[in-house]
Amino acid sequence: MSTQSIDLPLANSLMGQQQQTTKKQKLTKPVAPVSTRLKSASNLLLKHSFLSFAGLIMVFPFVWMLSGSMKSNDEIFSNPLNILPEQFRWETFVETFNSAPFGLYIMNSFTVALFTTLIVMINSAMFAYAITQLKFKSRTVLYFIVMACYMLPGAVTYIPSYITLANMGLLDSHTGLIISNAASVFGVFYLRQVFLKVHPSLIEAARIDGAGEIKILWAIVLPQCKSALATLFLITFITNYNSYMWPSLLITSQDLNLISTGIRQFFIAEGNYGLNWSQIMAASTIAVLPLLILFIICQKTILSGIADNGVKE
Amino acid sequence: MPNDGKYDDDTTKFVTVPTYDVHIQLRKNFIMKINSHALSHSISEKLKVLLFIAPLLIPLLTFWIVPFGWSIYISFTDWDYISPEYSYVGFENYQYMIEDSYFTEALYNTFVFSLGVVIPTVMLGLGFALLLHKNFRGSQLYRAVIFSPWITPTVAVSIVWSWVFETKSGLANLLLGKVGIAPIPWLESGDTAMTVVVIVTVWQAVGWTMLFFISALNKIPESLYEASLIDGCSPWTRFIKITLPLISPTTFFLIIVNMINSVQAFDQFQILTQGGPSGSTRTLLYLFYQQAFEQYDMGPAAATSLIILAITGVLTLINTEMGKRWIYY
Repeated sequence: MSTQSIDLPLANSLMGQQQQTTKKQKLTKPVAPVSTRLKSASNLLLKHSFLSFAGLIMVFPFVWMLSGSMKSNDEIFSNPLNILPEQFRWETFVETFNSAPFGLYIMNSFTVALFTTLIVMINSAMFAYAITQLKFKSRTVLYFIVMACYMLPGAVTYIPSYITLANMGLLDSHTGLIISNAASVFGVFYLRQVFLKVHPSLIEAARIDGAGEIKILWAIVLPQCKSALATLFLITFITNYNSYMWPSLLITSQDLNLISTGIRQFFIAEGNYGLNWSQIMAASTIAVLPLLILFIICQKTILSGIADNGVKE
Repeated sequence: MPNDGKYDDDTTKFVTVPTYDVHIQLRKNFIMKINSHALSHSISEKLKVLLFIAPLLIPLLTFWIVPFGWSIYISFTDWDYISPEYSYVGFENYQYMIEDSYFTEALYNTFVFSLGVVIPTVMLGLGFALLLHKNFRGSQLYRAVIFSPWITPTVAVSIVWSWVFETKSGLANLLLGKVGIAPIPWLESGDTAMTVVVIVTVWQAVGWTMLFFISALNKIPESLYEASLIDGCSPWTRFIKITLPLISPTTFFLIIVNMINSVQAFDQFQILTQGGPSGSTRTLLYLFYQQAFEQYDMGPAAATSLIILAITGVLTLINTEMGKRWIYY
């Protein structure tokens, strides 16, 4: 498989060259040998069928989840292999929403992720601006301290952070969750790379015009890197929306649950007897769908942002 | 020389003033003024820097750097979280680790899990990237589809997978039944449980790995391939001699980062196996979780977390060192 992809573009470029040369030679039609064309066509077919197959495997769990949520429990046991249910039971979703406050969980996840992301964007941008554009002695040291935190696994900080939040009285609260996630090493790392690419003359010019540093950051630097900011926003938001381990330690009240902790509770309550798969799949769909929709809308920003800027996490 | 003096205001007499002194005085004033200005300027500079770094530094100190030191301290005690008293036990927690079969087993499981995840993730990621790094009709869609599992919450998709691998009604066993293979108790037996968690993790990580390979492949200059074409290399030789060496820094980076991520994997274990059956999927992080938040043995838990740090730390250092050495372009 792997060799083909290199083969193909080369074959194409070769054909392109032939076309050019033949055009020069009295506009005869571009002639690639029939065998080559056949070979590249069959390669293309092979490539597409392989990729479609792989793609199907990748999305299959989502399809299976949707299919399970639409079937009744009886059908799941009587006709387990049907992908399309006999009848689409939308009422499973209504039942699921009634048996646990999933709407609330999603709202909780959404607000926590949004506020965390906004704070992370602001403080990472300011920090990255300071270490790239302001001149002070300790800025390299500072950058290394922050980057050293990158290899610090969450587990190392969990026990003391838990105690700190307990002392602040923020243990079972969204505020505690937000402030304990307010420092993002990744945000600094990512924005530093981006800010280094901003042309220094722009900032110099603004300084000569007497603009303050905050104004330079806001009006000159940030507008230059809108797409990078969008990528950082999405990645931070998604990571926080999906995070599970730390919230599961902090949050104990049911109505403060995030979607990931809420769905796990539901799974344990319903799933241990393996009887209610259709509602469990409906719950999973409720958890997964908002993100899939977000991804479909913003896929270009996310994909190119990761591929172009070398995102680490 | 009328300019060398002035009329004294009080006496209205003409007095001579040496110009030299006046200039000295003026100069002194000027220098003092500059100095005080520079002083206030540097203070305001420092305040400005502080204003920019504090919003990040305060939470970083509170929830990262200070807890790190604190964890080291806790790892030398026998604190149980509930009682206010605890005693200093020196290296006991670390010594106990070596004898503790739970710990050695968890270390081994972490190792097996990381390798089990990293090798297929990197190979599949590279394979997909080779197929998809050129833009063609549909390439963007394929990329999005392969990447999509990364976006979704691990907890929710692990629940879906737990249904797929359920022993009685799970899809995997139903399909195996169709071809006449007896049902496998996927999550109830040690070997297969780890395999299931590996499958779920690879499924989520492969798209992200692919994106990195795509960006690395697109940086390889086309001229190199053209040169090899003139030399008449076979596609396979081209891959081994040109592509692979040129993307080796990225490959290495992805191996390390995927390893670090799998050492820190938790969500899928919590949903699929809870470290079971009988500890066969208990990784170091899961052991830490059980010690700290189920048994409240904070001392040993902190020690375990520092071992995790040591592992990720070594991997990060190898990564940066090799990164420096392996730059081909």
